[in-house]
Parts: sequence; structure tokens; C-alpha cells
Amino acid sequence: MLEVNLAPLALTTGNFAAGDTVRVTVSFQYRVGVDTSLTLRAAPYYANLFGKHLVSACVGQTDLLLEPSSEAVEKTAAVDIVLTPGSLGGIENGTYGLVVWLRSGNSTADPWTLPSPLARAEQDNVLVVSGNSGGGITDTFSSMMPMLMLVMMLGMVGPLLSGGEE
Amino acid sequence: METKTLELNLGGVRPLQAPPQEYAPGWYVDPESGQPVYYDGETRTFYTLSGGIYIPLGYMNPAPNQVTLGPGERLKVSISYKYAGPAVSGATERFCVGVYGAFGFTEKIIGTNTRSLSQSTTPLTYTSEYTFTIPTGVGTDWDDLYCKVSGGSPSVNESIFGYENALLITGKDPTISEFKITDFVKV
Repeated sequence: MLEVNLAPLALTTGNFAAGDTVRVTVSFQYRVGVDTSLTLRAAPYYANLFGKHLVSACVGQTDLLLEPSSEAVEKTAAVDIVLTPGSLGGIENGTYGLVVWLRSGNSTADPWTLPSPLARAEQDNVLVVSGNSGGGITDTFSSMMPMLMLVMMLGMVGPLLSGGEE
Repeated sequence: METKTLELNLGGVRPLQAPPQEYAPGWYVDPESGQPVYYDGETRTFYTLSGGIYIPLGYMNPAPNQVTLGPGERLKVSISYKYAGPAVSGATERFCVGVYGAFGFTEKIIGTNTRSLSQSTTPLTYTSEYTFTIPTGVGTDWDDLYCKVSGGSPSVNESIFGYENALLITGKDPTISEFKITDFVKV
């Protein structure tokens, strides 16, 4: 028996530098009875044991106006996201997913929060970000952590030892 | 603005003085569902009891096709039926769009025509139509409709016919499909 599975074409991975602006284009069909304003948002995301998380500093958004139509209308739209560098509280070097979603009203909820957005599309591991300098405050602090902990432990143990000698 | 059309055939309409019905009034078992149904000799219709209300069996039918509509658009419903019997004046043709569910039909938009039926010993075909304008506050579940002919003098036996899911209502909430990322590039 022949089995054919149809799936959307996967997006090709793209390489970007921290600070770049990425234009994300989406397409969809809609039907609506009255003039409707929606917000299209896009953002990089990462996943861990606790789920998917937006890089909140890099969320881009644009407003869309849907004109009434009882027949399905094809529409394309674009939204820009700025890959704010990690040193400014933005995105770190690494590989990220890309998610776009549509919500009505002013809801700023992320795309995985209920109530669900009107539409959402996402793909893991398509944004490869590099170009963050390695000398940021966070990086320096991270590399010094083991040494700091050792010093702190010695600081705690030292008085005990000296107290025992007296 | 475009007017969309839906056509229904109500079949035959009988005068109340029609020949005796095929079934004796009383309770029967529906062979398809196994549930008890009541046959009313006066209306010559089977009824089922749902939520304390007797609902005629079989007057709602799957729609052969769907008409897509939004607020402000117009829907023309055309009906045809046959009548043989004495002349009738003031019979009512009723057109309803609404919600059909377990407890019957909830009417949302209603239209009526009044007409006279000629005396005839052979069935004559009558056609009629009513045009609805879909209101702004239309609900997306207003997707059912029915039409019936009844009343008049002398009164005709009620003849009713409807379609479930005949309308695809485009309301104030958008319906989005085929949503996908087509591209992403550095600008």
C-alpha cells in the first residue's frame, strides 16, 4: 500500500548577526464579516524542559486590517524583528526557532498562552544567531562563578579553622 | 450587492380535509433510531419528545450545499410546493434562519409571505421566495433554515422543510486558515 504524507515545506535555516533586522513574511486566508484589526507578531524562541520561551526583547509586531469578505481572501503580510544584541538584554548567540502569530485586540500574550491566538506558525531551529561579543557582563560573571564560589567557601571555612587553633 | 440563493422543495401541501392518513394516531418505534415516536393524525406527522417538546421528525435535512454569507449580504430563499384541494386564502409561507439543535429550532430571522391557493383537483406547483438581509450582529451558528406553509382559510396542513448547516456565516470574528511563514530575510 502506498502512503503519502503531505507536510508544509520546512523553512531553510538562516544565519544572522546580533543587531540584524529580520523581515518575516507570512501568508494566510481569511473570512470576516466586518472591518477587523489584528496584530501580527513574530519572535525568536528557544525551548527547554519547561516549554517554549520567546526572546521577549526581539518581538516584532505590525497591525493588519482585514476588510470584510464572506469568501476566503488570500493575504500576505510582513513583520520585522530586531535581533537586539545580548549585551543590551536581547538575544544570545545560538540557534532559535521562529514563531509568528495573530491576535485581535491589544493582547500581548505569548503565542502559547490561552486563549490561543487566531493563528500561529512556528518552526524550530531556523535562526542561527552569532556576532555577540564574548566580553559582556553576563559572560564575565558566568566565567568567574566557580572561582567566586571557591572564595566564598574558603571565607566560610577560614574562621572555623582559625577558631579551632585558638 | 450580490444576492445569494438557496432553494427548497417543500413537497406537497394538503388541505386539512385530506383523505385519512396511512397510520393510526399513536405511538410507534422509529426503526432507524429505535426511539419511541408519536404519530399525530391531524398533522400527519411523526413526533419525538425532546426536552418536553414534541418535535416533528424528519423536517430538517442535510443541506446539499452551503451558501457563504456575511453581515449586510442578502440571501434569497426560494421554495416550491404543490397543492391540490379547495381554494385557500391567506395561507402563510414562513421563512426562518436560525439555530437547530436538540431542543428544536431557535428562530433568529423571520420572513413571511401571504398568498392564496387556487382550487384544483390535481396538484398545482407554487413557487415563492423571500430575501433576507443578514444583520451585523449575525451569529456564526445561524447556519440552519426552514420554510413552511400553513394556515389560511380553510387552513392547509402545515408543510415544513429545512436544511441543517445550509449557511456558512462569516461573523465579526475572523476565520483564519493556511497561516504559514513563507520567508524570512535580513533587511
